[in-house]
This record gives sequence, C-alpha cells and structure tokens, in this order.
Amino acid sequence: MERRDFLKISAIGSASAALEGCGNPDHQLIRFIPEEDMLPGIATWKPSICTQCPAGCGLLVRVMQGEAEVIRHGQLGLIKMGLAKKLEGNPNHPINQGKLCPRGQTGLQVTYHPDRIRTPLQRTGPRGSGQFKEITWDDAIKQIVLQLSDLKAKDQLSDFGFLTSPLRGQRAKIVSSFVGGLHGTGWVEFALFDEQVSQFANLTTFGHAAPLTADLGQSNYVISFGADFLGTWNSPVAQSIGYGTMRKGRPGQRGKFVHVEPRLSQTAANADEWIPCKPGTEGLFALSLAHVIMRDKLRPAVQVAAIDQWSQGLPDYAPEKVSDQVGVPAATLTRIAQEAAASSPALALAGGTAIAQTNARFNTLAVNALNALLGSVGKPGGLFFSSTVTHESETAAVLRSDFGALIRQIQKMPDAVTVLFLYNANPVFATPPAAGFREAFEKIRFIASFGSFIDETSSLADLILPDHSPLESWLDDAPPSGSARAVASLGPPAMSPLHNTRAMPDVLLDIAQQLGGDLAKALPWKTYDEALKASFTEVYKTQASKDAKDADDFWQKVQEQGGWWSAEEKPLPISTGKSSGAPVKNTAPQFDGDPSQFPFHLLPYASQMWYDGSLANLPWMQEAPDPISSVMWGTWVEINTQTAASLGIVQGDLLEVASQHGMLQAPAFVTPGIAPDCVAMPIGQGHTNFTRYASNRGANPISILAPLTDSETGSLAWAATRVKISRVGKGKMVLFGGSLTETPPETQHR
Amino acid sequence: MSHQWGMVIDLDRCTGCEACVVACHAENNISTVGEDQAAIGRAKHWIRVERYYEGEFPDVKMKFMPVLCQQCDAAPCEPVCPTYASYHTQEGLNGQVYNRCIGTRYCANACPYNVRFFNFYNPVWDKPLQLQLNPDVSVRSVGIMEKCTFCIQRIKAGEIQAEAEKREVKDGEIQPACVQSCPTRAMVFGDLNDPNSEVSRMARSSRGTKLLGELGTLPKVTYLQRDSANVREDA
Amino acid sequence: MSAKTPEQINEDLLRPLHGVSARYLVILAFFVAIVLAGFFAFGWQVNHGIGVSGLRRPVFWGFYITNFVFWIGLSHAGTLISAILRLANATWRRPVTRCAEVITVFALSIGAMFPIVHLGRPWIFFWLVPYPSERGIWPNIRSPLLWDFFAISTYLLGSGTFLLLPILPDLALVRDRSTGLRKKIYTVLAIGWRGTPRQWHRLEKAMQIMAIAVIPVAVSVHSIVSWDFAMAPVPMWHSTIFAPYFVAGAIFSGIAALIIAMALLRKFLHLEDYLLRMHFENLGKLLLVMSLLWVYFVFSERLTNWYGNEPSEMAVFWLTQTGRYSPLFWTMVVCNFIIPFPLLAIKKFRTITGCVIASIGVVIGMWLERFLIIVPSLSHKYLPYSWGTYRPTWVEITITAATFAAMAMLYMLFSKFIPIISVWELKWGQHTEEFRDPVLSRTDEEEATA
Repeated sequence: MERRDFLKISAIGSASAALEGCGNPDHQLIRFIPEEDMLPGIATWKPSICTQCPAGCGLLVRVMQGEAEVIRHGQLGLIKMGLAKKLEGNPNHPINQGKLCPRGQTGLQVTYHPDRIRTPLQRTGPRGSGQFKEITWDDAIKQIVLQLSDLKAKDQLSDFGFLTSPLRGQRAKIVSSFVGGLHGTGWVEFALFDEQVSQFANLTTFGHAAPLTADLGQSNYVISFGADFLGTWNSPVAQSIGYGTMRKGRPGQRGKFVHVEPRLSQTAANADEWIPCKPGTEGLFALSLAHVIMRDKLRPAVQVAAIDQWSQGLPDYAPEKVSDQVGVPAATLTRIAQEAAASSPALALAGGTAIAQTNARFNTLAVNALNALLGSVGKPGGLFFSSTVTHESETAAVLRSDFGALIRQIQKMPDAVTVLFLYNANPVFATPPAAGFREAFEKIRFIASFGSFIDETSSLADLILPDHSPLESWLDDAPPSGSARAVASLGPPAMSPLHNTRAMPDVLLDIAQQLGGDLAKALPWKTYDEALKASFTEVYKTQASKDAKDADDFWQKVQEQGGWWSAEEKPLPISTGKSSGAPVKNTAPQFDGDPSQFPFHLLPYASQMWYDGSLANLPWMQEAPDPISSVMWGTWVEINTQTAASLGIVQGDLLEVASQHGMLQAPAFVTPGIAPDCVAMPIGQGHTNFTRYASNRGANPISILAPLTDSETGSLAWAATRVKISRVGKGKMVLFGGSLTETPPETQHR
Repeated sequence: MSHQWGMVIDLDRCTGCEACVVACHAENNISTVGEDQAAIGRAKHWIRVERYYEGEFPDVKMKFMPVLCQQCDAAPCEPVCPTYASYHTQEGLNGQVYNRCIGTRYCANACPYNVRFFNFYNPVWDKPLQLQLNPDVSVRSVGIMEKCTFCIQRIKAGEIQAEAEKREVKDGEIQPACVQSCPTRAMVFGDLNDPNSEVSRMARSSRGTKLLGELGTLPKVTYLQRDSANVREDA
Repeated sequence: MSAKTPEQINEDLLRPLHGVSARYLVILAFFVAIVLAGFFAFGWQVNHGIGVSGLRRPVFWGFYITNFVFWIGLSHAGTLISAILRLANATWRRPVTRCAEVITVFALSIGAMFPIVHLGRPWIFFWLVPYPSERGIWPNIRSPLLWDFFAISTYLLGSGTFLLLPILPDLALVRDRSTGLRKKIYTVLAIGWRGTPRQWHRLEKAMQIMAIAVIPVAVSVHSIVSWDFAMAPVPMWHSTIFAPYFVAGAIFSGIAALIIAMALLRKFLHLEDYLLRMHFENLGKLLLVMSLLWVYFVFSERLTNWYGNEPSEMAVFWLTQTGRYSPLFWTMVVCNFIIPFPLLAIKKFRTITGCVIASIGVVIGMWLERFLIIVPSLSHKYLPYSWGTYRPTWVEITITAATFAAMAMLYMLFSKFIPIISVWELKWGQHTEEFRDPVLSRTDEEEATA
C-alpha cells in the first residue's frame, strides 16, 4: 500500500474513533469527581436498621463501588460512589442475630426504585390530579415556614397536625418536640397493624403498655391465637430464630405448637395442630383452657383481677358451655389445656384476626390471663417486656397511636387542622373509606408530605419534600420487642443520596431554626446526627459507661457496631394481679352485616410480602410467590373447598366480594385451609396510585370494611366485616405453583 | 483438603417464609420478569418453597419444602448438554457456564427437580434498580440457562480469603445467601468431606432423606423430615 | 400399464419441465408467501428473544422439537421405498422412487433447521460442530444432541447422494433436448454423463452400495432422535421402546407423505398412466401394516405404563388418556388408526382417494403424536408444585405452517426442473422383459372394465 493511502486511512480511522463518542448519549454525561474513596471490587460492610416493618432488625449493608446517574448542582451526570448491593442481618444485633426476612432483603429496592420522588415537588393542578412541578429545597422550605408563620401570627398553631406512622427513638423525639414546640398536640400516629389493643391489654395485665417479647427458644408449648408470629406479627425474625430452637435446637426436646385461627395462615401451616375457631371467640377459647387448668388444679393458682369470674374459677367458661360458640369440640379444649399445663414452660400469643374484632380487648386480656396462669410470665420460655431505651412514657405513646385517635382527628378536620405534615403513613389506602378519612383529609388547607413515593395519601399533598431512603439516612431505633436486652440501634447512612432528597429530621430542624422561638429552643441541633449523638451520649452516661472511654469514643463505637445493647438481659419487672378498671366480662364479637344477607366473615390478613400494603411497590415483593397460594402480582380470595363446590366456584373464578360498604372483585383460591363460613384476602394490593408496580393491580380488602372498632380502645376491628360472595366470571390468577397437593388424583391408582 | 459442598435443610424448622427466595434474587442478579411473563411460567426463582397440603377441613396438614439445585453427583443435566455448559466441578458442584450455553434447554428437561430457569428475553431492570446488581455475579442474557450455584461466588471468595491467610476454610464460614438469611436456621451449608462439619453431622440424622433419591441422581442436599414424633437426633 | 414407447415416455415425463402455467405461479406464490412469513417469524424471534414463542418452564420443548422429530421422521419415506424396494427387486417401485427420495432430502433439510430454530442463542449453533475451536473445548459426545448432529448430517449426505446419483441420466436427457442457456445449465448439472456402459455399470454399483448403506443410517437416525427423549429421566420418556417405536412411526408418516405427494403429482402433472392404482394400493398396504405396527407399539407402551402404576408416569398417562391432552390423544388415534384401517384394509375402499384420505389422517395423527410425546411429559414431571402447561404463539404456528409450505414449494420447484419420475428407470423397466403381473399392471380403465 502507498504511504499516502496508509496515512489517509489511519487518519480517517482515528477521526471516526474520536467522533464515535459524540453520538452516544451515555458518553455525553459528565463524570463528576468521586466524593468517596473506594476501591472497586472490594466490599465494605456498614451497619444499618431495617425499616420494612416495626420489628427494627439490625442490618449489615454490603457497599461496593459503582457508577450512578446523579444530579449535582442541578446537572445530570455520572459519579462513582459506594452503592448498597446486598442486605444481611447484623450478626451482633440482639433482635435478629444475623438473620433477615424477605421484606428486609427487599429494602434495597426502595433506594433504587425508579418511581422514587427525586426532588421537592409543588402541586400545580387540582388536588389529587397528580400534577406537580419541581421546585428547589429553598423554595419548599420557604413555603412551609410561611404556612407555619401564618398560623403562628393568627395564634392558630393548635391547628397544626402531624400524621406519621408509629415512630420510635430520636425520630419520635424530634417530631414530638416539633409539635410541642409549636404548642400543639396534633401528632397522630397511624398504622393498620399498630397492635394498640394488645399494648393496652399488656398495661392492664402486666403493667407495661408495650408489645411483649416471646422467649420461644426455650418454650415447650406455644398456643398462638391468630398471631402470625413466623410471618408478619410483632418481631418475626426474632420469633423465627426462637421457633427454630424450640423445634430442633435442644437435643431431646421439641416444643409443640398449636395454632388457633379460622384460617390456615403461613404460621398456622407449621403448627402441629391447626384448630379453626369461630372468628372473635379466641378469648372464650383461652378462658376455657384456663377453666380446665384451674378446675383440675393443673397449675398453681394466680390472681388476675382483670377477668370477671376469675377468682371463682371461670364457671361460665367450661369447655362444654363454650364449645358451640367457639366451634371446637369440648374434648379438644380439655386436651389442649391439659397438654399446655403439663408442658411447662408454655406460652400463649394473640394477634391477627383475634385482635381485630370488636371484642379485641376481651380476647387479649383473656390470653394474657392464660399466660399468667401458665406461669410463663417473666420466666424463660415465656414472655418478657424489654427495657429498651425509650424517650417518653409508654402510656402516652400508646394513647397517641390508635385508629380511634385518627378518627377523632378526622372528625375535627378540617376546622381543627389547617396545616398538616404527613410522614410514612397511607391512611387513604389503609383505612376503610366508610370512615371518611379521605374526604376530611382533602379539606385540609395545606398538606406537606415527606414521603419518597406518591401513594394514595401523599398524592393529595400540596408540597412534597422527599426524604432520603432509609439506606441513605441516619437511622436510630428503640425496638420494643424481640430481645430481653436493652437495645438502642443506630444506622449511619450506608451510602450517599442518589437524588435531590433531604433527611426528614434535618428538614424539621431547618424549619425550626428558621421559625425561631420556642420551637428553635426545643430543637437546638443543626442536623439529625447531632441529635443522635446527644441521645447516645445520654445512653452512655446512664447505661453504657463501662463500654467506652468517653462519649466521643462511645459515639464512634456505636456507629461501627450498629448501636448499643446491654450485655445482659434486662427485662422489665412484671406484676400481675392488680389492674385498674372493672373486670372485663365475656364480650361477644359484633360483625357488620346481617348473616342472612352476608353469610361470610371476611378475614383480611397481613401479607408476607406486602405487609400492610406499603411494600407492594417493590418488584421482588410482587414476584415472590405468596407462601400459601403461590400467587404473584395479584390478589386472591381464599374460599373453603366445600363452600366453593356448593357455589359452583372453581379455582381462578372471578368473585365479587361485597359488604355493606362496598364491593371488590378478585379471583378465587380454593383451599381446605379456611373455615367454610369465612373468606380471606391478603392486604396489600388494590393500590390506585403507588408506583408502576403496584398501581391498579388487584383489590384492597380494606376498601370494603366497616369502620367498626374495639368497643373499649377504639382500635380498628378489621376482621369484623361480613360479606357475600358471587361468581362473576373467569378470573386471572398468576400462580407459581402447579399442583396444590403432593399426591394429586392423577398419580393415584384408579 | 479438597471440599465437597453440601447442604442440609431441616423441614421441622422451615416455616415457608421465603426469606431464602428473596435473598437469592438479591445476591444473584435474578431479573424480575413481570406479571405477563410470570403468568406463562417464566419467573425465575432459583430457590423456591414448594407448598403442598393434604386433608380436608379441618384436618389439614401443610408442608413447606425449599427446593434448589441439588448439585447432584450423578446429575442428569450434565451428560445431555452438547456444549459442556453444565458440568461437574471438582468440589462437587454442578457448574453452569453461561458463556457456553447455546440454549438447547435439554438440561432443564432432564432435571427431575425442575430447578433450571431459562432467560427467554434479555433481562430488564427499570433504572436505577440495576445499581443493586452484584458485581461478583454475571448478568445472564437471552437464551442462557441459569440455576442455583450454591453461591459459588461466595465459595470462591471464602476459599481465596482462606488461602491468602494460609489457613483452611472454617466450618460455617462460607454461607450461600439463602442459608445466611434463613431466620429459623433451617439451612446448613458446608463441606461433606469433613466428617465433623455441621452439615456432615446433620446429614447423618435418622430424619434425613433425599428428594427423588430413588432416581439415582445422588443429590447433595439432605432434607430432614418434619418430626412430630420427636425423634432424638444422633449427635 | 400399456406399453409406452420411449418417445412417449420422454414427452410425458419431460412435459412439466417446459413452461409455467398461471395456476402454477399462483400456487407457488402462495407457498412462497407462507415460507417468507416463516422466515419473518424466525427473524422476529432472533431479534426479540425466544420468549416470543410459547415455551416456558416446565415445557421447554414444544412446537419446534415436534416439527424436528416430525420432519426427520417423514424423511424415512425415501429410504424404505427406494432402498428396500430396490434391494427386494420390487418392480413396481420404478415410478415412485424419485418422488420418495425427494421427500427425504427436503424433509431432512427442513427438519435439520429446527435444532437451530429452537436454540436460545441460535447465532452460535455451530458450537455443536466438532471443530478445533479457539475456546479449547470440543462438544460433549455424551449428549444425544451431538449424536443427532452426526446422524442427521450423515443421513442428509447419504440420502442426498442417493437422490442425485440416479438423477444424472435424466439431467443428461434434458440437456440433450435443450438449447441455449438451459442447455448450459443442465450440462453443468449432468457433470458429463454420456451414458457409456462403464458409467451405467458404475451407477448401478453405486446405487447398490447406497441402497444397502442408507438403511442402517436411516434406522439409526430416528433411533438417535428418539434417544433425545429416552435418555432423559422424564416420566414416559425414559422408555426402552422408543427407538423402534420412533423408527416405525417415521416410516409410517413417510409412506403417508409419499402417497399424498404421488396423488398430487398424478393430478397436476397428468401422470395417470404412470402412477397407477396399483402403486397406491401397494403403498396403501404398506401403510396399513405400519398403522397396525404403530397401534401395537402404542398399546404395548401404554399397557406396561398402566400396569406398572408408577405415580409420576400415571400422572402423564391420565393426562393424555382422560385429562387435558385427551382430545388431542384420541384425535391422533382416530387419524392414525380408526380412519385408515377400514380405508386400507378393505379392497373396495383402497382406492387412490381412499389411500389419500388415510394418508392425510396419518400425517396429522403423526404430527400430533410427536407433540403428545413431548409436551404432556414435560408439563407433569416429578414434583407436582412445578407442573405447568404450554400454549404456542403465532411465531411457532407460523413457522410450523411454513415448514409444510416449504415442502410443497420445494417439491413444486423440483418437479419443474427435474423429472419427478425417473425416466431412465422406467424405460429400463419397459425394455427389459421383466415380469409384469397382468392383473397388477392394468390401467385404471382396464381395471374398470375388467
């Protein structure tokens, strides 16, 4: 080849190589200078806290270098940064001891969710239209400060409301101080599964308004009244660890587990005996067991003032007398009582549908009394109350957190609330529409939401100030259950923020400083981690002075470890016997709907994957098959095999489920694992507006519930609605599992 | 000492919670396929919890059984693969070499446990979900078969670490993602070549069975039957 | 048949090579369109991913492997007729051999496409070929798919040779009667055939060797294809009966295809004087024998399954007998036996029309049989939680339709350029005073008046 040609060709070649980058959009993004010092391919592990359910398990986050698209100074570009890759349980954390449930594993998808709100938004169209425009943080905070100053000027600060999920630790303290600093009392905590009626019962029976900690690992007999303790109730990972030990962790010993519930839940499926009772009769069941134990003197007597007839031996609760009501043979009740009394330590748990009735208080007090009689209270293999560091009186926390309080707030709206902050709660989805929350909520003059996602409630906001995702945030927690050790968890941010978000507590602190006055005095810190350091310094001084050289050293240590926990178990002392208030009598459950018109009990339940619906936006949670039905990406109605046959319903048929307050449609899942007069539906789908993965998918059983409450505590009785069923056609159900039985008829000899 | 990796799953401890299922997705870059694809049987759960029930109301018994690749010593999937994408490693694993797979899917038909999953399309992660991907695990493209590897990336990392520190791998040091996450400690993983390892001891339990053992696949996963009779384990 | 002069024979058998009618073009265009649609569907699949098909877990093989086995099976027509009848010196074979051999080559070519079509990554299909690759690894000789590769390529080579060798004299015949461009092309194709005694001798020798050699190859091909299934521990696949069962089924479908092809040729190319009722009757009797053999195999397999009562096998068994796939199963029995049996066993019904109806039934029935071997077993393996279903999509249906259209299209093209009946063999048969059965060699008119 001629030299001229060679040079020509090579010149063209290199020019085209250089030009190649120009057409490629990725190559047009700026590369920012890394803000962190990381070695590619090497992982570091950082402690954090799981926020996917109230258990508060400790996490270790695997962080590795990767390249992310971020916005810095208003410009889109690429940056090499530490990215959370995998979540594991923190092996040192007393609650979960290195283990993690499927919801916990999915926390990663919250951070990287494509529909996360990335920057503050301001509503432009009518409320609920979904029309927002992007604004700056300065602008957003200015608007808030303006609204609050306005209230202050008009001396209407009591009209300020703060609606959050149940908060703990310093986050609770900051919100409390914020509301208090504005001289308001308008902080309401809402969660569908707040277990508030249990905590009230524990206060009555045991003197502590807190969830119990179950020492399952050393138990020999566990009776669960509807408590899904291996799936979604209370502290599932801690309880699962204990359950494993109870079964096969003690050579030569194996605890027996009996589950009482009208439906065969995921937890019930592991029981040695599943005993379906009629809905709302769990209290009768428990007291019947107590009757037998007392009658036959199977255990030493105890005093329980809260239950009527207790000191007389509960004559009205003999198995023969309650058998029909409970729907369980008297012989079974007698036998279970005898077994439980003979298998010490024995423990009874109450949760789920048992505490979602109008007589929930009666049921919970009955189970508490049974525990007292079984002698497990405060003993190994029994129940404890954790002395975990808290920041306020237990009673006040419980009083603030209940559906009744929410209803009272609603009833006062809009006159009573003109400015509302919303954080981590979705009552438009999770309360029965018949309660009227949405209508009242929409009338509030100004709503600011701190959430990361648009959902049914936050879509009604005027201003959105998106919080960091949990893995990008300073987190702390005082988990009230799951360990008998005192626990103060701490989770520094595992990674830098991906988007233009700000930590909610930091925003509150900023607003406080700008408003000045009492509020600024109540919240003297610049950033949340300053507040955390102060709080942990308190812990150091009061409980942990042996664990570090000084407060700074302690602060370093807790950041590395993921918190502080006491070396020994330190459960709170428990006193039974005394109680305030009149002894509770046998209360029958009330149900909404005439049985002749609405022949079925509707039993909604917390879904293993979507919990109360707040995790339905996560793709892993949509695609993971439900443990019982194996359904993915949808809702279903569990209906008894015989009932279905008598109604001409086969697997997959589309059913219409109607209560007095509404109707929904969902496909039928035919199973022998539910009582013939009950139907069950998981809670979590049926979102109308909750990211691309959950919107307009399935049905929400809460949407047809009656707003019935427990008669004494005001807790929502979400399992007290009756419904009617009709077949409306062929439905679509995505099942991962094929045959439901291991030996289907086709494999049998003909 | 050479290793032979094996697993024991205690069905008396397993509660069917599916922590293992999701942990595996997170660790191994398994893509979500979406509702329509899941409806036609293309969801990829390398480990799944099989659920069966027997009986009529109210005497219903339900059983959960986590099923994953059994890493069979006489694996039916290995002889049938024309390109040696499915092959047996020296440490007793059934290896799947993604690059060699041309997608005949014979291995998936031959596997009696149905633990092999195929990429019918290129995987999709809505941005920025792809930032979660584990750099230690390949992302498989369309036409490639995949399955549980006993988290071979963790095994390799553990072995390399031990070698660098001039010591043996400690029993329990290497844990696949499923084993690590399981709250009831139903799953145990370790070296079957070491008779004193926890997995070896538990595999000798009188409750132990092999899934479809009668087919002669020689699976490396031992299932411990649920124990309502309270059989005492041998130490 | 009444004796024809060589000139008459030439004229009748070479007529199709001259000129195209409008009808021919229209029909050819129809088939070409469907074939193009098939290519489009495959291209769509390669572009988007094999997920555009209906394949899924647990039914990882479906329409494509059904077509693969079906078309390879169909290709056994040529072997039986040509090779076995040659060796047996059955004189009535002469007008039939080339039709049969052509079916073999085309069916094989179509069938051999499917190991590529069904791959997840078809662009690297050549990794199945044993060549010293830069990856430093040879294919896995233990895999039945590798045996498929060797068997099918050998069979394709063998049957290709078997077809092309005896075509040479006829190509020379066309060459000698052509002018211009046509003459040039046929000169090349005839590779210097002069018709010398030496060449004839060599041709005869080669045909004898090929006839003997190709029979075990054909038997092995479909045995090996059957071992794609029998070597896997899948309920109702892992059966020792599969090799003979598949070979018998292949011959069965091959004969049926041959009968249909011959009937169409007879009608469209006006070969009524060459393809006589006698030929159809003889093939029809063979088809009857194969039908009975097929029933025998199916029955003995199912009887042993049912008697053995092994749960995972019974699950698949009932699926086909009374369950989800029973409509297809019983349709198959009707198509393969209930309809053909009376049509072929009773002489009155064993007419050309009767044989064609029976054959159409058999082609449908045998396609269904391949489907029913593959899909029910895969859908119901050992762990019931993993049982599933299968439904094809437009991609698989289009490609399946395209295979039938391709067969028709290739046949139409072949018969336009090369005489579909072996001219020289026919003449040779007439010329040598070989035994002619006065009854069997009647024309249809003679038959009618007898």
